[in-house]
Amino acid sequence: MTVGLLLGALLALAVVVYVAAPFLREPEAAVDRLAEPDGLELRRLALIEERDRSQDALRELEFDHRTGKLSDEDYRTLVGPLRRRIADARRALEPRGEGRERVRAAG
Amino acid sequence: MAELGRAALVVCLGLSLYALVAGSWALVARRRRLAVSAQNALVAAFASALVGSIVLVVALVRHDFSLVYVARLTSKELPFGYTLSAFWGGQEGSLLLWLLVLTGYAALVVATSRRRRSELLPWVVPPLALVAVFFAFMLVAISSPFETQLAPANGAGLNPSLQNPYMVAHPPLLYLGYVGLTVPWAFGMGALLARRADEAWIVATRRWTLVAWTALGVGQLLGAKWAYEEIGWGGYFAWDPVENAALMPWLAATAFLHSVMIQEKRGMLKVWNLLLVILAFGLSLFGTFLTRSGILDSIHSFTESSIGPWFLGFIVLVLTLSLGLLFARLPLLRSRTRLESLVSREATFLYNNLLLVALCLTILWGVVWPLLSEAVRGEASVVAGPYYNFFLRVFGLPLLLLMGLAPLVAWRRASLRSLGASFAWPAGTAAAVAVVLLALGAGSSPVGLLAYTFSAFVLGSIGYEFVRGTRARRSLEGGTRLQAFSSLVGRNRRRYGGYVVHAAIVLLAIGVAGSAYDTVREARLDRGERLEVAGYTLTYLGTTERMSANARELRARVAVERDGRDLGIVEPGKNFYPVEQQVSAEPAIRADAMSLGDLFVILENSNPDGSVRLKALVNPLVNLIWLAGLVFLAGSLIALWPDPAEERRLLERYALAPA
Amino acid sequence: MLALSVAAVLAVFLVYVSFAGGGTPAVEPSELKGRAEVVVLSGQVVVGSVQTSGEVTRFRLRDVKGTATVPVTYAGGLPDQFKAGRDLRVNGQLRQGVFVGEPGTMVTKCPSKYAPKQRSS
Repeated sequence: MTVGLLLGALLALAVVVYVAAPFLREPEAAVDRLAEPDGLELRRLALIEERDRSQDALRELEFDHRTGKLSDEDYRTLVGPLRRRIADARRALEPRGEGRERVRAAG
Repeated sequence: MAELGRAALVVCLGLSLYALVAGSWALVARRRRLAVSAQNALVAAFASALVGSIVLVVALVRHDFSLVYVARLTSKELPFGYTLSAFWGGQEGSLLLWLLVLTGYAALVVATSRRRRSELLPWVVPPLALVAVFFAFMLVAISSPFETQLAPANGAGLNPSLQNPYMVAHPPLLYLGYVGLTVPWAFGMGALLARRADEAWIVATRRWTLVAWTALGVGQLLGAKWAYEEIGWGGYFAWDPVENAALMPWLAATAFLHSVMIQEKRGMLKVWNLLLVILAFGLSLFGTFLTRSGILDSIHSFTESSIGPWFLGFIVLVLTLSLGLLFARLPLLRSRTRLESLVSREATFLYNNLLLVALCLTILWGVVWPLLSEAVRGEASVVAGPYYNFFLRVFGLPLLLLMGLAPLVAWRRASLRSLGASFAWPAGTAAAVAVVLLALGAGSSPVGLLAYTFSAFVLGSIGYEFVRGTRARRSLEGGTRLQAFSSLVGRNRRRYGGYVVHAAIVLLAIGVAGSAYDTVREARLDRGERLEVAGYTLTYLGTTERMSANARELRARVAVERDGRDLGIVEPGKNFYPVEQQVSAEPAIRADAMSLGDLFVILENSNPDGSVRLKALVNPLVNLIWLAGLVFLAGSLIALWPDPAEERRLLERYALAPA
Repeated sequence: MLALSVAAVLAVFLVYVSFAGGGTPAVEPSELKGRAEVVVLSGQVVVGSVQTSGEVTRFRLRDVKGTATVPVTYAGGLPDQFKAGRDLRVNGQLRQGVFVGEPGTMVTKCPSKYAPKQRSS
């Protein structure tokens, strides 16, 4: 009977140690601030999503045109604005940009 | 060992509470180590739930009847597999299963989110912890599987109708589904708490939703197969509240799966998606509540049920908090994108959503109607098959048609002319099929004929998509047709996996519509007498009895002939279980390759004078339903298949910036 | 757009309900007095009252929490879980003091809650 309770106590001890681990590992943490994106990073994220979305849409547009779902006329109407949107998004990302962004935009 | 079980559950409750409180405080005060500690608590909660589960399994295997739960659901004679499945056979065990799967998923979320360095993780912990607290609390204080007693000599045994392989797999799969819907909900709430309006939460939970949805779908099919073979009335779905309980969250999740694609492609419908995920999760809790609380047996049994009122209270709490949070963040979620054309793929997805949600809500209305009518008019009133079938047709047939139209339509705007051209082949196929079916006599059910015509249209449309796509790939890359085909599917696994799933749904629809052409005959037969049904001739030969491990099996021997050919003997019957003091029907089901259907024979009564009452049904196309389950699974697997390039891109997009 | 569809759904719903009525009343034996229409009767099978002659079963059904009983006759196969002392539901009509059950509509309350109720074939 007491075996069960003993094992239960061991379990409780083990989990308390595991839960306290972050504090035990770094008793005085230099930076204890929860990382979260600031307004700038969120805006950048929105732009990246916009750019990726438009790039995917362009790829689909091309494929839809090729498979015949989209007429030449409609393709011509939609392609221009879409390409412009991609270019705008890329340009908007550049100023913050690391070289990585410029390379990706070119590629 | 019951103490260890109880202790493990108490520890689990404590950990979940800590995760909830510490996790929330970490968000308010922006403390990193506290957030990590809360995450650890969730992982540890899984470990404790696992310990508790192992204790229960061990007790079951050892036939430890000092546990009330074990004595109630097993006996020494019960075959091993069913002894194990008794884990989830009763209320307390199934709550423990919920907790185990929930904490297991939570631990997996923590592990994978940490690997991806996701910023959302600290925000997702409190919602997950809240649900864990509820279930752990129920298990500790209200409905514990570890209550002990003076051990009786033998247990009461498992209900014989549950001693069936499908019933072993059905609850765990359903729970993987129900509980799985907690994850997208938690991420959605986490994103709202973090004041984020981007798609990180959707991208993170895409696979979770798909897996949960697949599990829920397959689980329901297993349940239907069980009902077909075990309850044996010749049908597989009766709109019983317990069956509806699983269907409603599945419909909501189906709508959600589609509408998130619109958010990904166009950035629209952010609020709608959050509403859908709240609906799906809420219905998932409601489904568990319905199945476990007995509320719909009668409103009186509701208050007697120990967990009923608690569950209802928790559902109200979850809905209030979720909707409140959504409302508070509404200004953040406004998107500037509008629907450009009513004839575009976005529009068809929108129509699909509206139809699915409408169907889901009408089912919900039908399920709660007895309670509402009693509350309002003082007298309960129930709705049954006719109500549900009507709405299934009204919403389901257009949905079927949409499945065929959507692939033909482009995103943003579809030119009607090119639509017309794409339309030609599938529509032509459908018309041809309709003519053939009419000639075969399918006109006896106009609804059935319509369903088949639409089905042919959808299959034609899907086939056309694959053909056109392969052709286009080939013109871009060269190579053989097979290479082009696998490149096509490989580049867009979600879309083409989705088409396979649609094909599965069509097969399901064809199988279900087949019931419009069922034939039923019944008669009392003396030895040697015959019964004719839809071309079959059944001759009653006599009865036999034999003993199995825990039952006395009575069988009627019936010879089957068709068109003069002898097709063998079927043995419908009944099993009598002495320990459980129960009878179960064991119908004879003979599959027919030609009609893809079944000859279904039931022994209704065996009379003392040697005569029997037999009921025979011929259910055409019913086996397509089970085949559809396999195709469904295959399609989901294709859609789930990881795409390393895409994963990498998404990882870069959402990972924390290096410190 | 959303408003239009909600309106459409409601319209379909109301049309149906006006034709099909608001469902079948669900009553217990004590509420059965004098009602001649088709109802869903639910209650508990009185122990010792079950009599079978051929394929017709006769028994008395009692309020789950009361004493009012009513005689019931039911033709056809009984669901597996049928037993004296069990709760069940059956559609039918009161005819000359006896509740005549519609064959194929008897449903017993399932003892293990996650399986759908046992129905008679």
